[in-house]
Amino acid sequence: MNRAYPAYACKRLAQAFVVIALTYVFTFVVVSVLPGDPVTNVLRDPQNGFSEAEIQEIVASHGLDRPIPVQLWASLSRFVVGDLGMSMRSDRPVATLIAEVLPSTLVLAGTALFIALVLALVIAYGTQFVPRRYGQGLLRGTPSLFLSVPSFVIGLVLIHAFGFQFGLFQVIEPDSVPATLFAAFALGIPVSAQIAEVLIVNLDNESRQEYAAVARARGLGPARLFARHLLKPSALPVVTVVALTVGELLGGSLITETVFGRTGVGSLVQRSVSTQDLPVLQAVVSLAAVVFVLVNLVADLVYPLLDPRVKLLEPEHRPRAVQA
Amino acid sequence: MTAPFFSRSPSSHSAFSRRRLRVWLARAASVAVVTLAGMTPAYSATPGADDPRNGGDATFLIDSLGNTWIPNNSAISSFQGHIWGHVTDKLVYVDGDGKTSPWIAERWEQNADATQFTLHLKKGVTFSDGAPLDAAAVVANLDIWSAGRKSEGINPIGLFPKTYDHAEAVDAATVKVFFKAPTLGFIPTLGYHGSILISPRSLALPAAQQADLRKSAGSGPFVVESWKEGGFVRLVKRRDYRWGPAAVGHSGPAFLNSLTYRLVSEPSLRVAAVQSGQADIAYNASPQELKSLRGEGFTVVTPRYLGFVNGLALNTRLAPFDDLKVRQALQAAIDRREIIDTVYTPDWKLATSFIQSNVPGAADYGRLLAYDPVRAGRLLDEAGWVKDAKGARAKDGKPLLLTLNSNPYLATSRAIDELIAQQLGKIGWRVVIRAYDVPTYGEKVRIGGPAVPAYEVTRSFIDAGTVAGILTDANNGENWFALGESDRKINELRDRIAGAGSADIRRPLLDELQKYVLEQGYFIPRTQIVQRIYVQSPRLKGEKYNGIAYASYYTATKAK
Repeated sequence: MNRAYPAYACKRLAQAFVVIALTYVFTFVVVSVLPGDPVTNVLRDPQNGFSEAEIQEIVASHGLDRPIPVQLWASLSRFVVGDLGMSMRSDRPVATLIAEVLPSTLVLAGTALFIALVLALVIAYGTQFVPRRYGQGLLRGTPSLFLSVPSFVIGLVLIHAFGFQFGLFQVIEPDSVPATLFAAFALGIPVSAQIAEVLIVNLDNESRQEYAAVARARGLGPARLFARHLLKPSALPVVTVVALTVGELLGGSLITETVFGRTGVGSLVQRSVSTQDLPVLQAVVSLAAVVFVLVNLVADLVYPLLDPRVKLLEPEHRPRAVQA
Repeated sequence: MTAPFFSRSPSSHSAFSRRRLRVWLARAASVAVVTLAGMTPAYSATPGADDPRNGGDATFLIDSLGNTWIPNNSAISSFQGHIWGHVTDKLVYVDGDGKTSPWIAERWEQNADATQFTLHLKKGVTFSDGAPLDAAAVVANLDIWSAGRKSEGINPIGLFPKTYDHAEAVDAATVKVFFKAPTLGFIPTLGYHGSILISPRSLALPAAQQADLRKSAGSGPFVVESWKEGGFVRLVKRRDYRWGPAAVGHSGPAFLNSLTYRLVSEPSLRVAAVQSGQADIAYNASPQELKSLRGEGFTVVTPRYLGFVNGLALNTRLAPFDDLKVRQALQAAIDRREIIDTVYTPDWKLATSFIQSNVPGAADYGRLLAYDPVRAGRLLDEAGWVKDAKGARAKDGKPLLLTLNSNPYLATSRAIDELIAQQLGKIGWRVVIRAYDVPTYGEKVRIGGPAVPAYEVTRSFIDAGTVAGILTDANNGENWFALGESDRKINELRDRIAGAGSADIRRPLLDELQKYVLEQGYFIPRTQIVQRIYVQSPRLKGEKYNGIAYASYYTATKAK
């Protein structure tokens, strides 16, 4: 590790804080300018029979009649000291709501990432070593196919086929191991396509290198060539792709959780968006920003450590703009 | 076949005196027990633990579990009412025909002008936290239904009578309730979905703790075992329950061991799960699927609630609906039969008034709602809205236009609007349809609003006496037709209905009100409404539906 590394890490951390703060403010402003609020939306349901005067009185009791900058300041003041506030929809602490759903999402996203990596590896291996006449071309087209089918379609097909037809899992027990595996497949399949695409391009490149030809000439079998020589240099760009797909896994869990009836961060976001539950939305978006920024930060910081060819230049060694 | 008591066996005469006597005594004892059981109050007739009907777990798939679980704030009218209906009891029971009968209130009296009511409570009823359901508990509930605790974020119950003054516990089993004005609808309101009895200990909790469903103790036949926000609520039966309403024919503990409400957002998945045997009940299936599901042997129930029919409240301040002839033309120009045949199934009924036909006091004015496009055209001609060369009607250069804001609370609203647009188009009436999401609809589409010529209504109520109060702006009324106090006849009917001290006095007044509102074209009914659709496994039987069309599985049994 050279001397530039600590400065680089500090700069990236500072950038991460700015991104999180901006995300918080942006979410607040976007949700605030939408018509209505969670309290009014519920009260205005004609079934509830509230008069306009009663609605205004209740809205004021929640502090929703105050100017938006005042509400933002109050919200931000609480956020910086770690108080995520109360859900306006469920009247429960936001931290409790997130703590209830986070494990389910982490299990789903983690399993989906594992499935995506395994699928990507299998596809990538096949594109290098399956003979053309046995469907190599088909394997090369698989990532495009996986990317073009939305995860909710995959989810519905899996539910109807394996849940209802073959009875391999109970749709009404969405947190069971079999149901979680199928949900993870639905979420992981599109993600595997992105990883596979990057991996295939890099494997194609590496397998054309001289060292690969030498290894083949020495009689190395496909599996050993793949595992020992081709995979490591080809997998480095995958670190960046995986970091980027963390956001996709969190976002994609919204749809997958809804389809499979799981109660996770995605379904919490879906309910909060539909009811404009600002405190929950802000907390979840900020949490997602934190995760996303952290994962990318880790990827950026790990990259120079993994690949010796990546060097951080100290300020005095950086190229300067040419003076006119 | 039962042998006569004193028939003799030719071979064992001596045995009669002992064995037959024992049998006779056993039979006599059985008869005595049965007779005594029949004489005791219904709520003590608890079935034995070995009752073959006992047992089983049911799973109910629902499209939402609402928002907050604070009892006063929760969406009792739509989703959460299913759960509250099993966890809590009410003072009176209202059946599907609007008939009120005793429940926790064994009987009641009122004074001549319906401003004071005395409720006599069943004794021995307890909440699941052990607190007694006595007069003090009822007073605490009445007070929070009426006023809420707004500063803490606990709302009042919107449809609780605004005329409530206070309540007093006369003794442990007697409550006296006082109103500022005649409130004949008070007793039926006690059976409405919001009037759920919660333990005073739970009511005293701050809002954030009330929002935890496990902390709200009711006195109902089930208790909350576990729940997950936006996921499921699992209820288990309360074994010491013995105060069910006599009207459902059962008073002891529930037969089912547990009842789980699980959120499944996708309607086709809910139905498919019941078809595959993974769940027992699917809520709110698509109307188009009902016929085939019946054909497959599933129980399909579409109970009607007590309330207004689905229809349009016209804003009489906005042209052209300030003209009686235009309103009457709209009444005649809608083919309601075609709506049912096209959008719905025979489960939906033709409107015969602006309130559902199962509401006590509903009149049959179907003849005023007959489809007659010729008459509609003639009325528009008379009102000066004449057709141009292209067949579109206009007056003083302005086109005849109706703007419909599709109701986001009713999935079929947009389809009906489109059909009405076709029907009106045939007589030269142009229709513009606007569709909004729920928040935008709440902001932009308000009854009597300056840009809302027709407001689509779907709303339940438990007592028709509340109807007249909504129509004008007196006493914080909602002023549905933007009439204010301008229509003397409707004001007079409203005041006479509000002041009626008995149902007999009120009935002809309600009849007159319905006829007048329809004749004046203030309200344009579309169809009677089915708000809840249940698709159920044939193994599950015996559930009951109350006046708000909620299914109660308290009486249900599941075949092993």
